[in-house]
Amino acid sequence: MKIPAIKLGRKSTKSRKLKSFNQTKWVRGFSVTAVAIWIFYAFIVDMLPYGLYDFFQKWFPATTVNESLVWVICALGLNIVVGYAGLLDLGFVAFWAIGGYCAGWFMSDFFQQTSIHFASTAAPEQRGIHLSFWAVLFIGALVCAVFGVIIGAPTLRLKSDYLALVTLGFGEIIPQIFYNGENIGGFNLSNGSKGISPVDNVGLFGKTLGPFDLDWKYLIFVCLAALMVFISLRIRSGRLGRAWLAIREDELAASMMGVPLMKSKLAAYAVGAFSGGIGGVAFATHVNGVFADRFNFSISIILLAMVVLGGMGNVWGVIVGALVIAWVNSTGLPAFGDTVNNILGTNINFPSYNFLLFGGILIFMMLYKREGLLPESRLKQILHETDDSTSNIGGH
Amino acid sequence: MQAVSPNRFSARLLIERSAATLIIGLVFFWLAINLVKSPSQFFQSSIIGISNGVLYALIALGYTLVYGIIELINFAHGDLFMLGGLFAATFIGVWFGQESPSNTGYAVFILCLIATMGFCATINVAIERFAYRRLRKAPKLAPLITAVGVSFMIQFVGIRWNGSGPKTWNSVLPDGEFVISTVHIPYTTVISFLVTIPLLVLMTFIVAKTRRGKAMRATAQDADAARLMGINVNKTISFTFALGGALAGAAGLLFQQTQGVTNYNLGYQLGLIAFTSAVLGGIGNLSGAVLGAILIGLIQGLNDGLPIGLGQQWSQTVVFTILILLMVFKPTGLLGKPMVEKV
Amino acid sequence: MTKSVLKADNISVKFGGLVAVDDVSFDIPTGGVVSLIGPNGAGKTTFFNVLTGLYKPTSGVVTFDEKNITAKPPHKIAQAGVARTFQNIRLFGLMTAEENVMVAMHSHLKSGIISTVFGTKRQRSEEEESKKTARELLDFVGIGNTADQFARNLSYGDQRRLEVARALALRPKVLLLDEPTAGMNPQESQTFVDFVYRVRDKKGVSILLIEHDMSVVMKVSERITVLDRGQKIAEGTPAEIKSNKQVIEAYLGKSSESDK
Repeated sequence: MKIPAIKLGRKSTKSRKLKSFNQTKWVRGFSVTAVAIWIFYAFIVDMLPYGLYDFFQKWFPATTVNESLVWVICALGLNIVVGYAGLLDLGFVAFWAIGGYCAGWFMSDFFQQTSIHFASTAAPEQRGIHLSFWAVLFIGALVCAVFGVIIGAPTLRLKSDYLALVTLGFGEIIPQIFYNGENIGGFNLSNGSKGISPVDNVGLFGKTLGPFDLDWKYLIFVCLAALMVFISLRIRSGRLGRAWLAIREDELAASMMGVPLMKSKLAAYAVGAFSGGIGGVAFATHVNGVFADRFNFSISIILLAMVVLGGMGNVWGVIVGALVIAWVNSTGLPAFGDTVNNILGTNINFPSYNFLLFGGILIFMMLYKREGLLPESRLKQILHETDDSTSNIGGH
Repeated sequence: MQAVSPNRFSARLLIERSAATLIIGLVFFWLAINLVKSPSQFFQSSIIGISNGVLYALIALGYTLVYGIIELINFAHGDLFMLGGLFAATFIGVWFGQESPSNTGYAVFILCLIATMGFCATINVAIERFAYRRLRKAPKLAPLITAVGVSFMIQFVGIRWNGSGPKTWNSVLPDGEFVISTVHIPYTTVISFLVTIPLLVLMTFIVAKTRRGKAMRATAQDADAARLMGINVNKTISFTFALGGALAGAAGLLFQQTQGVTNYNLGYQLGLIAFTSAVLGGIGNLSGAVLGAILIGLIQGLNDGLPIGLGQQWSQTVVFTILILLMVFKPTGLLGKPMVEKV
Repeated sequence: MTKSVLKADNISVKFGGLVAVDDVSFDIPTGGVVSLIGPNGAGKTTFFNVLTGLYKPTSGVVTFDEKNITAKPPHKIAQAGVARTFQNIRLFGLMTAEENVMVAMHSHLKSGIISTVFGTKRQRSEEEESKKTARELLDFVGIGNTADQFARNLSYGDQRRLEVARALALRPKVLLLDEPTAGMNPQESQTFVDFVYRVRDKKGVSILLIEHDMSVVMKVSERITVLDRGQKIAEGTPAEIKSNKQVIEAYLGKSSESDK
């Protein structure tokens, strides 16, 4: 699939194509930051004096960086559904789960009944299906895209609140199927609550990357995120992107202008789910397994908070929002809590404040800064549209 | 979006009707098999199901009231129920120290009912005032997302108050049960009914006969017209939230005393079940909410308790599947009226 | 004899007990400019919505270009060549004028997701083409210099023109204009009459207007159809309609009765 070696080449091609949107600034900024971070963690961190080293281990451990990138990938997927097409999907965790289980099925000893190997890092004697990580990425993304269509199909004629609930329903049903999946009619779908672990190592140019090869994994995850950014921006600049924006604003008028609502909405679900699948597979290799109890409603909400915070429809904002929230959730809040507790001698359980955090973000953003921190300029107007008495449309 | 075309015979309608008949037929078949196989378990599960359903009804009414008046699915409503349970537990168990059935206990129970209803009503009104009111004219996405945020904040309060796991409590309600042949009906179930039914009747009375109720119904139909008629729309909406909150509080108390457990995430789980009930009955329709709740409670109870059933682990899936099927095929529910959208 | 490009036979629309349109037959002659008028509540907009696929008629058939389009989904009817503007302007306010027009070209473009993502030559040239066409259309309606402005920020008159440009991007055979001169002053309305004929002549579309402004209707129409309480009560040239007793009654009589 995407091989890091030509990353530089691809980024400059991307710059060329994206120039017409004045996005080059952002692309350059993120590319430079991404490479800088890699260099830092691969070479510099180990050479820091103890104090600094501890600081980084506590506040910015490499595992958190990688995990945050997975969140970025999934948030970018949700951004397409919610941000571009305006469809409030509250069940995105389903795709994360399906992606993870694709990794569990096709990259482990799970299916003992057979033995299929393809460009895999697993030893040839191992039973089970062992495909190359890159193949599984692709498969997981496609399977999720199909499920995106399946989940989206019932929502096509629904109003936004009903749509949200149907997606929420699927977001509950699918993980529950996996959780109870040890015995579905005699067939073991998912090992139930035990999950599937371990998954194969990632193969890269003959190297095998285990769950602790964080530096190379980082590069891979960054490239996957870049891929999704690329896909998002490219589609947005074409007729499907315009169709999505039109649907988001006025579905009826869009359909009267020849925009096929069903197809366009399904496409949004499919592309969004595609991204979720990639994130799910990547995450499985990060935590070396797929565990049913990790997939719950709060993940869908956290993703929504990321998209809302970053600015619905703005890929760069969503990336920043995702990185910030993911970091706070996994490292920032606990580390902050430790520090405060140490200083004040208290025993406050800071990580339990994350509900307050996410709830607060959602409420605050909706009341005061609906367009997100780095808003897409159009959205600023749409979300405050009815507050603004100087609206020109219709000559009121 | 196409308007509903009345009396137009089409393939789609045929498929829908036959699918619905098929599903209902299967459900009856399943019920019949179980009834024959093990009647006492059937009735026992039904009793459990109905007593749950009656609780769901209290919560479902809150959803349907709010949706009827401002077309908002108050995501946080279920969490209000949870909060009510916490309040009740603290009130009875901690402040008054009642841990077992006694006359004082019963008195405190009644006092607590009023207190909890008031507590939850106040909170609901505050939420509407501070979180939802500003967004009344905003595109639908905004209040929906805000409601999710409020839900999370309430759960946070739940975590701080009750911890991150379940807590068990002793009840002041009498132990023991009626036994009719092999079916056991706990006293607590009867008490649930004794509390809920008057509340429902009171609710219906308020909505149907009082001026406030009339104002609610008018606002639900057309807020602008209601305003022109001199109805204070803001007050009416607040009143609606107060009613819904009170009912959720009552449900919270009942649940806490009959099940003896509190947990911060109860609201989310039961809230969605209650909402499904409201949709099943026809959202915006009060009797529909009650009917839907009892049906869902029954289905759930039967599914969990019957020999031929999916069992408790699939409970959520069953309810959500029902929700999805409803919203796709019959969003107006059992008692709702189809709306013709004029463009 | 001119053929009819759009024909509606015996259209009735009932909402529950309310009969909005009662057995109306109507046609748009190819290359013609015709109007549909009637007092408020006469059923004009409902009838209009049936023609564009927004409503399914309770009975009756709509034929476009000899093909039955009754109750087909709106986007299919639009793609077939029936375009419309809206009574309350429904532009995509947060897209530029150019993008608004390009949205309407959706059905004429062919690039799928894959070719868009990879930016194939064909996709890129298609985009270039559609940008060019969009600008041409904007020039044609007279707002070429607003191409990069958000539709929301245009003046009212420009927004009306943009709506027409967008509708024309569908390459329609029939253009349905819903109260296009609402909110215009007499001078603008006159310009609009010339504009309508320019559209018909240069773009080869047949045009149907719903209008309230009688002076516009009389000036612009080759034929006028009058609806009252869901029924067709008159059809003819402006001169004929002006002197039709029933029509006069329908309009004047209405002022002393309650609406609907």
